[in-house]
Amino acid sequence: MLKPKIICVTGGKGGTGKTLVAVNLAIMFKNQGFKVLLIDGDVENPNTFLLLNAKLENKTEVLYFLPKIIEDKCTKCGLCAENCGTHALLHIKNSYPIPISTVCSGCKLCYKICPTNAIEPDLKVIGWTYTASAFNIDLFLGELKPAEARSAVIVNKLMENLEHSIKTEPEKYDIIVLDTAPGAHCDVEALISGADFVIPVTEPTRFGKLDLLRIIELIDLLKKEYKAIVNRSSLLGYKEKFLKELEEKDIEILGDIPLDEEIVSSYCQGIPLMEKSSKFDRNGAGYKSFEIIFENLIKWGDFSK
Amino acid sequence: MKKIGVISGKGGVGKTSLVASLASIAYKDHDINLIILDCDVDAPNLALILPPKSEEDIVTQDTFTTKKARFLEEKCVNCKQCYDDHFCEFNALNWNESDNIPVIDYLACEGCGACRVLCPEDAFEINPVKSGEIITYETNVGFPLIYGKTKLGSTTSGLLVSEVKQHATDLKEFNDANLIVIDGPPGIGCPVIATVSGLDYIVAITEPTPSGLHDLSRAIEMVNQFNIPFGIVINKADLKSASQKQLNRYIEKAGYEILGRINFDLSIPKAMSYAEPVVDYAPESVASQAINTIYLNLKLILSKL
Repeated sequence: MLKPKIICVTGGKGGTGKTLVAVNLAIMFKNQGFKVLLIDGDVENPNTFLLLNAKLENKTEVLYFLPKIIEDKCTKCGLCAENCGTHALLHIKNSYPIPISTVCSGCKLCYKICPTNAIEPDLKVIGWTYTASAFNIDLFLGELKPAEARSAVIVNKLMENLEHSIKTEPEKYDIIVLDTAPGAHCDVEALISGADFVIPVTEPTRFGKLDLLRIIELIDLLKKEYKAIVNRSSLLGYKEKFLKELEEKDIEILGDIPLDEEIVSSYCQGIPLMEKSSKFDRNGAGYKSFEIIFENLIKWGDFSK
Repeated sequence: MKKIGVISGKGGVGKTSLVASLASIAYKDHDINLIILDCDVDAPNLALILPPKSEEDIVTQDTFTTKKARFLEEKCVNCKQCYDDHFCEFNALNWNESDNIPVIDYLACEGCGACRVLCPEDAFEINPVKSGEIITYETNVGFPLIYGKTKLGSTTSGLLVSEVKQHATDLKEFNDANLIVIDGPPGIGCPVIATVSGLDYIVAITEPTPSGLHDLSRAIEMVNQFNIPFGIVINKADLKSASQKQLNRYIEKAGYEILGRINFDLSIPKAMSYAEPVVDYAPESVASQAINTIYLNLKLILSKL
């Protein structure tokens, strides 16, 4: 039994083209007959479904623990507040403790240590997960409820759902593509940790380079294999210089994607550039560049059908 | 003293470029005494465009906003209760069968202290660890810049953002300052919430693409929950995109304020490659004129707050 291979598309900097790459890689694998699952782990701003013009289904609440004080049982001893690592329980002498939801980490310590069982789990909705299908690829997507902070819980939920899917139907997918949020925080870290191959997407600017080096530091820390993609490579003619800089730092690349109006147009229409049924120019600069990237990716990962 | 922040939801839409230019204009404005913060602690880039006047002036301070658990083997009696009773809600406590002891997953540990409190043998302790750095200096255009940078894998972005904001109040320049401008992180999660908390006004920048609009609406939903007034800047405002209409309709229908539109202008990436704010690199450019208008609009709004 073969486990599906997991590819994580990330980038450090925002707006470098992570989602564009993740969606088109998924589509190219599908074009070759692979069974593909795309997971949108940018739960703060999930955008894959827009690029795929996909209808989100199976909306499922992601619930998170918050302590609820049962006043009949509470002796106002203050043990819970004393031990709360994030000071999420406010206790004033001779009064009931007050939970502060914005700083609660959800560790459940208060619930576990209350000597009179006066704390019960009160579950609140912090976001949702969805599934969708479009262009013959499946999509798992997470969405953080605006003004909630604990995005990592939703990312973990997506990864649990993935694990469950692999366990119950190991043959269902050959390839899993993960799309991450910008940055290098815990959400990104969780997705990179779960991947076999990591693809940081960058752009040939000072910002792009600085953030690429930072995300590579994280990928190295997590001991993962990576190869980068340079998007908007034709911007102001910096391509050669930028590629040389990457080479000097021993950063291997899968390829580069030039500026191309068709990419913008595919993005805005919600039809992936590389979709075989689409009407985009097969000789266009963007299209060609994705073909090269895919060829290099297949070689790198030894993906065979 | 007024505090404003620039956020976007979607990454890579021009937050940092806008902030650098607004800062440069503000510095030449005699009414304004400015402090500038970069709270994109995962990928702080503002320092690239606003470098220090002198390298010697850079002050770097380590932060210890993260806590991590440490296992004390000498106290452990191998009862396995920590693992069996699931002390850790973050799955950071695993069991090493061969040595019969718990193993802490350093990256997954949130330092909540549940293991420390619950272990009957006191075999865990919680210690602060280095979570990042706060860097302060006087920029080459004259005002102080403070930015934070997370230590990768420290799971602390939100707390570090709060620390950076706190740091500003300790500066000797703070008493004379009448404006703080913050370059925010992408997304709408924990670090963004920490960024916008306590601000007087928010600038939300976006671009007329489906994801730009989607992420803007989520950012606004978040901002509205905190009741902070905001205005919108549209970058790449002349992009050929079907989303133009939708974006305009969205803004008009809700009656949101537009601070300005910046048409696509190669002066912006060019300025970046010379590490200068665009208003200094190309003062007569379309982008610079638009940003000057935005500055004046912003100044007028702030004077009425």
